[in-house]
Amino acid sequence: MVTVAAIDDSSLQLTFVLFLTVVVVTLFTALLTAPQRDEISEFYLGNRAMSPLRNGLAMCGDYLSAATLLGSTGLVALTGYDGLMYLGGTTVAWMMVLLLIAEPLHRTGKFTLGDTIALRLPRQQRPVRLALSVCILAIATLYLVAQLVGSVALLTQFTGAPSATTRTVCVVVIGAFVILYASLGGMPGATVVQIIKAVMLVVGVLFTAGWVLHRYDWNPNALLTAAAERSGNGVQFLEPGLRYGGTVSNKLDFISLELAIVLGLAALPHVLMRLLAPRSSGTLRSSVLWAIGLVGAVCFGAGILGLGATALVGQDTIVGTDRTGNASVLLLAHELGGSLLTALLTCLAYLTLLAVAVGLTLAAASSLAHDLYGEVIRKGKASETEELTVARLSGAVIGVLGILLALVAWGANTATLAFLAFAMAASAILPTIVYTLFWRRFSAKGALLSLYGGLACSVLLVVFSPVVSATAASIYPDADFAWFPLQNPGIVSIPAGFFLGWLGTVRDRSRPEESSAHEEFEVRMLVGADD
Amino acid sequence: MPEFPPRREDTPTFPLPHIEHTPPSRISDHPEFHSLRRAQRRFGIRATILSVGGFLLYVLLSFFAPLVMNQPLFGRLTIGLVLGLGQFVVMGVTSWCYVRHMRTRVDPLAHGLRTRLQEDENRRTRQTAAQHEAGQLFQQGSRGFRTW
Repeated sequence: MVTVAAIDDSSLQLTFVLFLTVVVVTLFTALLTAPQRDEISEFYLGNRAMSPLRNGLAMCGDYLSAATLLGSTGLVALTGYDGLMYLGGTTVAWMMVLLLIAEPLHRTGKFTLGDTIALRLPRQQRPVRLALSVCILAIATLYLVAQLVGSVALLTQFTGAPSATTRTVCVVVIGAFVILYASLGGMPGATVVQIIKAVMLVVGVLFTAGWVLHRYDWNPNALLTAAAERSGNGVQFLEPGLRYGGTVSNKLDFISLELAIVLGLAALPHVLMRLLAPRSSGTLRSSVLWAIGLVGAVCFGAGILGLGATALVGQDTIVGTDRTGNASVLLLAHELGGSLLTALLTCLAYLTLLAVAVGLTLAAASSLAHDLYGEVIRKGKASETEELTVARLSGAVIGVLGILLALVAWGANTATLAFLAFAMAASAILPTIVYTLFWRRFSAKGALLSLYGGLACSVLLVVFSPVVSATAASIYPDADFAWFPLQNPGIVSIPAGFFLGWLGTVRDRSRPEESSAHEEFEVRMLVGADD
Repeated sequence: MPEFPPRREDTPTFPLPHIEHTPPSRISDHPEFHSLRRAQRRFGIRATILSVGGFLLYVLLSFFAPLVMNQPLFGRLTIGLVLGLGQFVVMGVTSWCYVRHMRTRVDPLAHGLRTRLQEDENRRTRQTAAQHEAGQLFQQGSRGFRTW
């Protein structure tokens, strides 16, 4: 945790004004475009006739969180090569979405992932929908808490360790905005925030990266040399192993993390929901391509920002300000463009976490309303108005839950929480998606086992990992029940999720689903019903 | 009646192309359907292994063969950093190949089958109820979305 204020007061005031302006403008637009009629399709999917570029921007906005902008850049600044590998993984994750998941899921989907699975396993859809809602709620809440905790961490950069009141006010205000956007604006409102945020993010990051390169006369070699010099590690800075080198468990930890990042994206609830938004699969394909390009550009720029922070600010200052490196972008901005650029980038970071939080709340709310309330509790008999009311209410409930948890866990590391959410998504939801789409025999028992089992496995491994106990940085530093050596459970829990799905299906002795269900599903998945 | 939740009685003001019900048909026996499935799946899996597997291989190499990865190429750029940049190139090329493959090999097949499916469906609905079809045509036209 930071103890001293990293950046002067004037840029905080500027940030405050800027952020408030952006929020007021977007909130206004979001409310104007909010669903007017009581139609669930509009609330869940938003404007389905948007151009691929806008969809791609919205996907990019949903995906890139403050953990990428501040956390990964900080890692590059501190660990060089190892940090750059993070950013690579963040981009590569989109390839799997494009190549395997996006179009089949879009053709078979309706509003939520539960609808796709219900089409495939019609007879036992209710227990599977219930399991899916539980998993989505757990993942979305954890990720939401990560974003809200991030807002406190960001405030810390300006004011030093905040008092309890400041903390509470910060989390409650951001949380209240999240609830407003998600519950009132629905998907159309969320899309507005995502697009504005994505445009600002792409422009802001690329502009600052260009500025850094300009300082070094557009010569990457000079930038690398300067970064290595001021990193305190010399040439080692540009070699693997600075953070995750040494012991085998360190290396395994990094591989585990990369697996979670690369595989987790395809299972994040808010990204999946965004995939269903375009009307035709042709538009979806172009949208995902745009998203890949934009995410790639931002990650590339973030790498340059990280190297630039080390080269221009120096590692001593970065570590002195914040041990985790989260301050590096802001310090770099201060060095380059003074208070104005700092304020702009801080505003961008706040907007980023706000937008991701809105997407998550909305995804969790629609899963609760559509899968849990509409199909499990009311067994498909709920009217649209009813379901919509439940969706809005659950948005508020999830937001409040996130605020309360964030107030309890405010000292946790944002990036750690976010990557845990990725690992949980990859172990609990991804196996079900992959098996549903590509395995003919997959049964409801397999789905239940892999959903609950994957979730339980990842959560338990985290509880018994150094994240929770045994080290100075963990949540309970004094206790020691960490028998699992890795920070990230992915390398064990993802294969476990796939294995449980297989096991459940093979051991399933109940009457199998009619083969016509699978046939119909496959026709829909490959041929589609539209465009 | 198949068990996928049928469209609710109160929804039809708004057309949802995804849940247009596909009647159980024998289109899945069609040889073209099988080649479509093969074309899509095989390319998807190969390309995923190439791009995602390639990246994971790069991560593994960075940790377990640091001597190779640390060899300088020009200036400060080592083989590892160049391979890292290469990942972006691989991704670009893979996406381009995917789009081309889908456009030339998969989309025409899918389009042909979709037309066939619709013809079958039309024939069947014409036989059973003429007015039902009229209703569906009407729905297709009534899309109410504000654009912004």
